[in-house]
Amino acid sequence: MRTADLIELLARDVRATPPGVVNRRLLAAVLAGAAVTLAIVALGLRCQPLLLAAQQSWFWMKAAYTGLLTLAGMVMVRRLAVPGAKVGAAPVAAALVVLAMLALGAGQILFAAPPARLALWLGHTWKVCSPLILLLALPIYACLIAAIRKLAPTRLALTGAAAGFAAGALAATLYGLHCPEQAAPFVVTWYTMGIAAATGLGAIAGGRLLRW
Amino acid sequence: MIRPACRERVDLPVPQQDETEERLRPLMIRGLEGDSGAHRQLLGVLGRYLRGYFGRRIGSASAEVEDLVQETLLAVHLKRDTYDRSLPFTPWAYALARYKLIDHLRRRNRSIQVPLEDAGALFAADDAEEGAVRTDLDRLLQRLPERQRSLIEEVKLQGLSVEEAAQKRGVTAVSARVMLHRSLKWLNQALRDENG
Repeated sequence: MRTADLIELLARDVRATPPGVVNRRLLAAVLAGAAVTLAIVALGLRCQPLLLAAQQSWFWMKAAYTGLLTLAGMVMVRRLAVPGAKVGAAPVAAALVVLAMLALGAGQILFAAPPARLALWLGHTWKVCSPLILLLALPIYACLIAAIRKLAPTRLALTGAAAGFAAGALAATLYGLHCPEQAAPFVVTWYTMGIAAATGLGAIAGGRLLRW
Repeated sequence: MIRPACRERVDLPVPQQDETEERLRPLMIRGLEGDSGAHRQLLGVLGRYLRGYFGRRIGSASAEVEDLVQETLLAVHLKRDTYDRSLPFTPWAYALARYKLIDHLRRRNRSIQVPLEDAGALFAADDAEEGAVRTDLDRLLQRLPERQRSLIEEVKLQGLSVEEAAQKRGVTAVSARVMLHRSLKWLNQALRDENG
């Protein structure tokens, strides 16, 4: 078939396309993934007493940290899922959020009595925190990848990393419904490590999974 | 007072590229609004630029150039809903073309570096001389079920509109359109598998 004939054929397949398809598909994917992860948190891990926790500032400190990272991650995913868009300032914003949390964590360590410092850092659950976040990120990551594949990513590893980052941060947010740890040093270490692991694995897997 | 030296602007758009943008973006937007004439015109212009770009990258004598042009035009068509109407069009088209080139080379295990350039790289020079293809789409179409194949034949060879073809076969225009769109998606996948 000549290229001119192909163009003729493609021109016959033109229909008005409403804008906003990309946003809708990504939103649907992230909601579907979050629903699965939320179910695992609520039914498998059990939530902490939420009415009590919601009155504490540490609960909202954690939610704000991972929530802001989720937002930055989804902005990156949105940009990278289509050709030609720049990643923009979202990675810088994410880095600033992590830096702010590091500062808060360092402050808590500095102002704590020396014998109490290790407990602020390790809490009671440091061994399971990062792996659980990574695990909980999987359903969200899978849904995001399935949606992005149907769009048109052109930088696959980077897009995979962004999807892993967003999935990790959202998984960490939902994990906060279960996790009773209260200290900023704990959060900035083990939560961030879980998100970082999701980002790295997301990049590796994305390079292959996202080909279209 | 010492004024800091003005930072040199390196991203000044080349005038020629600006013109291309101004010419192509309205065509793309009208195509998205359902204007098939604008879409046809856009694909025609893009096809010539793509031929020039791929030719410069893998050698214009290569028989793969025309395959790549067709593959990329199919992708531009099938992925056009990922274009954001509020953004410039040429970077979108360039990123898509570059991805198709990388994907093509990767599937052939060839290690040609494809530099990430300004969108102007795609629109530097066009080439209207259509080359021969290695993978003939007509041959791939033979694998489609009879109903889909004959719809494409009617639309392509006899130049019927989808509505006319639908009427002729006694199906609704909507179902004929869906069938055509599915066939094109299938063709895109088959072409990619064939070349991979």
